[in-house]
Amino acid sequence: MAINKGTRQFFLPSLTPAFLIRAGCVALLAYLIFGHLLTPFRIKGHSMEPTYQNGEFNFCWRIRYLFSTPKRGDVVVIRFTGKRVTLLKRVVALEGEEVQFRDGRLFINGNELNEPYIHTPYHWTLSPRKVEPNSVYVVGDNRSGLMQNHFFGQASLPRILGGPLW
Amino acid sequence: MVRTKYILIALILIAIGIGVSLTLFQSEEKRVKKQFHLLSKGVSKEPGENIFTMDQKIKKISSLFDESCEINIPAHSVSGRLSRDEITGYAARGRLHFTQLNLKFYDFNIAFTQERGASVHLTARLTGKTTTGENVEEAHELDCLLKRIEKRWLFDRIEVVEVLKK
Repeated sequence: MAINKGTRQFFLPSLTPAFLIRAGCVALLAYLIFGHLLTPFRIKGHSMEPTYQNGEFNFCWRIRYLFSTPKRGDVVVIRFTGKRVTLLKRVVALEGEEVQFRDGRLFINGNELNEPYIHTPYHWTLSPRKVEPNSVYVVGDNRSGLMQNHFFGQASLPRILGGPLW
Repeated sequence: MVRTKYILIALILIAIGIGVSLTLFQSEEKRVKKQFHLLSKGVSKEPGENIFTMDQKIKKISSLFDESCEINIPAHSVSGRLSRDEITGYAARGRLHFTQLNLKFYDFNIAFTQERGASVHLTARLTGKTTTGENVEEAHELDCLLKRIEKRWLFDRIEVVEVLKK
């Protein structure tokens, strides 16, 4: 079967200097976009269900908080040492605010927070605590099970990498 | 065209040369990373692991530590300077709770100190299944110190960094 010249040139291009420059530019652009602007990640775990399901794919929009700080209700990506392993959590309180859980209800500065994203009842109780400066308080949307088994609390702002793209 | 071909051949030869030299002359950084890789292999467990393999792995874990090591893992109520025997005891008992266990390290940040030490900041990810069928998935930021003793890098301190402060 004869392959026309255009198809052959597309799949088996000649290694001309122009082609190498084009390929280099594409590789550089991909590195800049997917390495520093839109970092791809896969959700492993159930802590943000039902908003984000286990196994879902998303991108971390890294410049989301370049000129602003996270607001209450925002879902943020939190880093550990680097970018390979991250946490996906929801901001429920900002710096200086007082956070308290009372039998499955979340109170910020003594006022109950309306959380439409919570779909299963939970029974956490946590004494009041103030969010430190330059930090936000983050919790997962899935609060079923024992509070001790969940990873939540204050995250310092430099640890926030960005937000999920969708 | 001929010139491009020669340039490509030269680049390939340079790449091979770099690869061979990196393999033959292992850097100190690689040696430190190797200790973490060995720790990961020792802690990890496949379903149906036999007693012989378990014994080998525990011995391997033991050989990676100094005479004593400062360990601070508040989530698992382990804290203080533990002897090599105590560490292997903890590791052996801990592994018994799991039918399957996988420990992986990411985002290494290594700095060498003047006192023949290596300060390593990294992320550890532990996944597994307990004997009761519960899935375990944990990620922690670790601050470790390894000391060079008789040409070997041995763990002297392992500390969990609090990423989210409750």
